[in-house]
Amino acid sequence: MAQNKGRSPIGGWVLLVGVAILVCLLDRSPFPGVPAIGRLLDPVHGCWANAEPVNKNFSADLKLPVANKATVWFDNRLVPHIHADNDQDLYFLEGYVHAYFRLWQMDMQTRAAGGRVSEVVGEKALPYDRRQRQKGMVYAAENSLKVMEAEPHTKAMLDAYTEGINRFIASLTFRDYPIEYKLMGFAPDKWTNLRTALLMKYMADDLTGKTDDIALTYLRDHLAKDEFDLLFPERVAGATPVIPAGTAYDKPSLHVPVAPADSVAFPHFDAAEFGEKREDGKGSNNWVVGGSRTASGAPILCNDPHLGLNLPSLWYEVQLQAPGLNVYGASLPGAPGVIIGFNDSLTWGLTNNYRDVKDFYLIKPVSDNKRSYWFAGKQLDYAKRIETIKVKGKPDIIDTIDYTIHGPVTYEAQNAKDGGLRKPLAMCWMGHRSSNELRAVYLLNRARNYSEYVDAILNFQCPAQNMAYADRAGNIALWGQGQFVNQWKDQGRFVMNGSDSATLWKELIPMRENPHVLNPAQGFVASANQVSTDSTYPYNYTDGGWVNLRAWRINKLLANVQKATISDMQVMQNDTYSELAAGMLPIMLTELTDTSSGKYIKLLREWDYHLNAESVAAAIFQIWWSNLYSDHWAAYHLGNVPDKQLPLQEVTMQIIGFNKYFPLLNEDGSRTSSIGEPIISSFKKAIDSIKKLEKTIGTDWYKVKNTSVTHLAKLPAFSYDHLKIGGWGNTINAAKGNHGPSWRMVVQMGKEIEAYGVYPGGQSGNPGSKYYADFLQQWVEGKYNKLQFLPNVNEQKDSAIKFVWHVSKG
Amino acid sequence: MRFLLLVILIALLSAAAEVFLPWWGIAVVSFIVSLFVSLRPGKAFLAGFLGIALFWLTAACIHDLTNDHILSAKMAALFHLPNYVIFILVTALIGGLVGGLSAWAGALIRPKVQT
Repeated sequence: MAQNKGRSPIGGWVLLVGVAILVCLLDRSPFPGVPAIGRLLDPVHGCWANAEPVNKNFSADLKLPVANKATVWFDNRLVPHIHADNDQDLYFLEGYVHAYFRLWQMDMQTRAAGGRVSEVVGEKALPYDRRQRQKGMVYAAENSLKVMEAEPHTKAMLDAYTEGINRFIASLTFRDYPIEYKLMGFAPDKWTNLRTALLMKYMADDLTGKTDDIALTYLRDHLAKDEFDLLFPERVAGATPVIPAGTAYDKPSLHVPVAPADSVAFPHFDAAEFGEKREDGKGSNNWVVGGSRTASGAPILCNDPHLGLNLPSLWYEVQLQAPGLNVYGASLPGAPGVIIGFNDSLTWGLTNNYRDVKDFYLIKPVSDNKRSYWFAGKQLDYAKRIETIKVKGKPDIIDTIDYTIHGPVTYEAQNAKDGGLRKPLAMCWMGHRSSNELRAVYLLNRARNYSEYVDAILNFQCPAQNMAYADRAGNIALWGQGQFVNQWKDQGRFVMNGSDSATLWKELIPMRENPHVLNPAQGFVASANQVSTDSTYPYNYTDGGWVNLRAWRINKLLANVQKATISDMQVMQNDTYSELAAGMLPIMLTELTDTSSGKYIKLLREWDYHLNAESVAAAIFQIWWSNLYSDHWAAYHLGNVPDKQLPLQEVTMQIIGFNKYFPLLNEDGSRTSSIGEPIISSFKKAIDSIKKLEKTIGTDWYKVKNTSVTHLAKLPAFSYDHLKIGGWGNTINAAKGNHGPSWRMVVQMGKEIEAYGVYPGGQSGNPGSKYYADFLQQWVEGKYNKLQFLPNVNEQKDSAIKFVWHVSKG
Repeated sequence: MRFLLLVILIALLSAAAEVFLPWWGIAVVSFIVSLFVSLRPGKAFLAGFLGIALFWLTAACIHDLTNDHILSAKMAALFHLPNYVIFILVTALIGGLVGGLSAWAGALIRPKVQT
């Protein structure tokens, strides 16, 4: 007989309840940020299901709701080459493929765009979500969606793309979810056309987000006019504009308006703290070299947009083929088409244009009610927009945003505190307006010549881009393309008086009058986020974030280029020569009287001004310069200005280096112009830092600067840091901390199209896939992948093809 | 021998259960098996523990070997574990605990067995 000792049924039931509780605890996240351990570790459905076999065969026969048979060839880097016999099937499959490899990223990025992050991560994301709603991100996307869906081709493209994503989502069970869903404990949300519109606005916000109008309004009153103009010049001395100086512009078709009286136009601020800080060094490079300067006689186009360096990467390589369409390039998971790339006739590349298209207006509320504000002598009611934010585990948050004739009123926590602006500002942003950039993408992907290219890009309104162009007929061109307002001088450079109609945005500049150049005499054209034109361009525009150091370097190199090859251009994209170091360091060294740090000084004297990965001199210079820059402006009497709203580095270089103008306030309020002392003190600080670094992480430039490619959920285990790459924001290879060349592309448009590209990531968004970050090392080393541009035919013989999806109706 | 067979039975039935059920199928199987098979509670726990640990360990190892440890190494780093082997063992341990406790409960609740 079995012993009954230690056996109590009651104890058993208690234990059973205990086990049930344990299972429940392991089946869901016990605390925010802690995953559901049981579900996660389950080797059948959990994270182990995301451990993709390294020799996985991706080939498949798929039954999908397509009109006709279609094929997706995957090459050895897992780049899909999608071949369909109609547009609908093509975009359906692009959506399906994007979702197949990048679903979580698409979901998260559009949640981030529209302020829906709290819904999945809880209230810690609430301030972020509120800010997105306050900026009018959903409002902007809804406005654009209306015109996108009113245009039949765009609507058909969007509908097919969305259906493709949703078809893929519908095929998933928990086991198939990207691992981040399992870690964060939520499920993929249905795709909508609105989410694609949100993604487009996310890019627009990222690229036109500068808000220095507020600080400049303060500084304008605070500084003498000549001083203000010296520190914040409209055009930096020696700027090499995107459209080469001397390019002739047509007579403007619009009458350029006259500025209203200053007292009418601009308010006065005694504080400048508003919240958003300026981010330096966002930018990109593109250039085109005409056949007269290349070895092959065919033009070469180069582009490297600098964006946040994340995993899964922002970009996804794809080739799209349909009747009348054969295009290859970088696509944005979440949007149909190819954003940067080439087709069988032409190639194009984008950099940010940075003409200011985001202005602020001081709102004068009607004092006895919360419903209205003053405008043109009348009381106008705010349009109220209700924003409902879902918060995981908490009740919904409901925000009401007041919309004025200019745009939404934005408040920030900083705005209300001591030293804060404490004034309601309305934001007027080109991104709030309806626009259909996808129409531009659709037409651009199919354009066959320069005139079709121009017709295509004229649909691109915001974010304004410098669009470089080269074709197989040998033409090169560049357009500063976007929708701009016919401004009076300085309109929008400072916060404007929101209660006077003279300050309103009025006429739009006809887009054909945007700055552009076709086949410039110099044989090349380049943009690196510098000013668009010389001062002969007939319309007014203001600075939205121009910088010059990379543009100087690129223009100097290209002016000397003869018989350029693809590989020369690749080397140039990876160039780390610093115009800043070359300009500043000799002056800094001349002023330096310190002899106790001889070995460091020797390194600097022998340095070639390249911010190479292993250069110690680069690290010393950058730390020294950074100290000098911040000490200088901290000591300077800039008043109550947000720390990042400082004069540009190149302006600082010109002022303190070239002009030896180094005004610092003495204790008695008088100014000194001795530059020797601060140079010595900042050098001493730099050497102290270097000595500390010698004992810790080391003094190689790449160790000091720490270029990282970070997983979107900020999980270090899924990220890569301390990449051994040179460069910084002041060099062509602008690999900064978490920001840099996000897609390097070089395309030669000859008889044969030769194209190379690389991005710091991989085609798969799955951290458990060998394709997750397999291009990263190449990107670090400045190496490229040859882009397999397949002919638009039904059968492919290319040996690079590794897997095939045969898609048929089902 | 009977014990060993039981361990294998739990492993196999749990594997089958997970085809239809989520991960907690392992708890259901361990509980039910020990409800019907006469074993002392301590041994039942051990059988449940070893059965599920064996199943999860094997499944995790198969995934891990075909994956060249790409994912397990990252997961180990995510949970601040020294290496991927530990992550595999943690997987087996968690599964084993759930299986063991469920089997123990089953053994306690099992009706008295007649000789």
